[in-house]
Amino acid sequence: MNSLGELERAVLEHLWAVGGPVTAARLREVFADRGLALTTVHTVLTRLEQKGFVVSDTARPRQFTARASREEHAAELMHEVLGQAGDRQAALARFVGSVSADEVDLLRQLLAAHPEAGHRTGEPGAG
Amino acid sequence: MLPATAVSLAVLAGLLAWPVPAALARAGWPRRDPLVALLCWQAVGLAGGLSIIGALLVHGLAPWGRSLPAAAWAVLTGDPASSRVRGDHWVTLTLAAVLAAELLGVLALSFVRTARTRRRHRAMLEMLVRPSGVAGDSVAGVTLLLEHPAPVAFCIPGARPLLVLSSGMLAELDEAQLAAVVAHERAHLRERHHLLLLPFVAWRAALPVLPAADRAHDEVRDLVEMRADDVAVASLRCPEPRRTLAAAIVAVAGGAGGEVPAGALTVTGGAVAVRVRRLLAPARPLPAAGRVGALVSALALLLVPTLLLVAPAVV
Repeated sequence: MNSLGELERAVLEHLWAVGGPVTAARLREVFADRGLALTTVHTVLTRLEQKGFVVSDTARPRQFTARASREEHAAELMHEVLGQAGDRQAALARFVGSVSADEVDLLRQLLAAHPEAGHRTGEPGAG
Repeated sequence: MLPATAVSLAVLAGLLAWPVPAALARAGWPRRDPLVALLCWQAVGLAGGLSIIGALLVHGLAPWGRSLPAAAWAVLTGDPASSRVRGDHWVTLTLAAVLAAELLGVLALSFVRTARTRRRHRAMLEMLVRPSGVAGDSVAGVTLLLEHPAPVAFCIPGARPLLVLSSGMLAELDEAQLAAVVAHERAHLRERHHLLLLPFVAWRAALPVLPAADRAHDEVRDLVEMRADDVAVASLRCPEPRRTLAAAIVAVAGGAGGEVPAGALTVTGGAVAVRVRRLLAPARPLPAAGRVGALVSALALLLVPTLLLVAPAVV
């Protein structure tokens, strides 16, 4: 089955693997076993371009390249989620927000000060 | 003369603009029962907006009638004002309209904008994460594994919620800790914490001059985390759930260094220590009377401005 989402992923995987510019006609040959029409390949490439995964040049025929590697996209996404941008609420609820080095030391001390169950002798209430 | 309703609403609005949120933020009990505290914060936010807009409306419409329903009816049916309409009536009416438009507008805008960002993040994740990247062993369900060295866990709420763990997270934590993190994120998704936070995000943006808006937002954000901790701990099957989750928090906090923009450092730092402390040395839960008292207060906070607005004038 050739769902658009699955095709997009396959095309992007291919562009990542090639690492250089590829034409739509060439992509159709690569995916010959799927029997794609050239317009379908173009649709997929356009959608990838709109989503910011693919860039094309003005050569004839047009050549398509992955804009960034998978790792770079992952870093970009992480940066948005971690960052202070106005968007950060979108991903909400990171497990732990950013913590300074001093704070990390304090946290480690807290954890060390509370030995595992069984070693515990009466404990004071919460601070 | 000012209608008594307008004066009462203005007093209430004044209390909700600073003393009440300040007291609630300072209080110790919210940490013992984050869920009840979250409900109280929702009531404070809603009642605050209702009372300030209500006060302006009631005063502005006073020439048409002594209560809001009577005055609104007179305006709608085209009855003339029974007393002279002065400048201050127009000013308060304009203020009420501007404030209502701003609060609701920013809320809607904030909603649309976060929905769009989530869609984009979701689309990115769908392209970036290989189907085999779904972490199926330790954690079932729609958990995605994103290749990234920083230990990060977050969730994208929505109709098809996604839970994302970074490969750095998997490397940093053991099996039980990972289960604790997943349970924490699941709690956010299941209890729709993003909806509890949304109005406070929006109103902080809408009212930058109101320090209480800032404070309320930070407080609600921290309480949501504590609530998720509590839910996670209750659902964990490992021998020491509280310590396991605390250890996971400390491990992730320690591993996040270097990846985080400097400006973000002080934002949540204090709250993380509070979370770890209350996990390791839990305070006694709030007694039933305290819970009921807090909930009744929250309900009263909502009922008072509502009744003042809809009740016919008594004075």
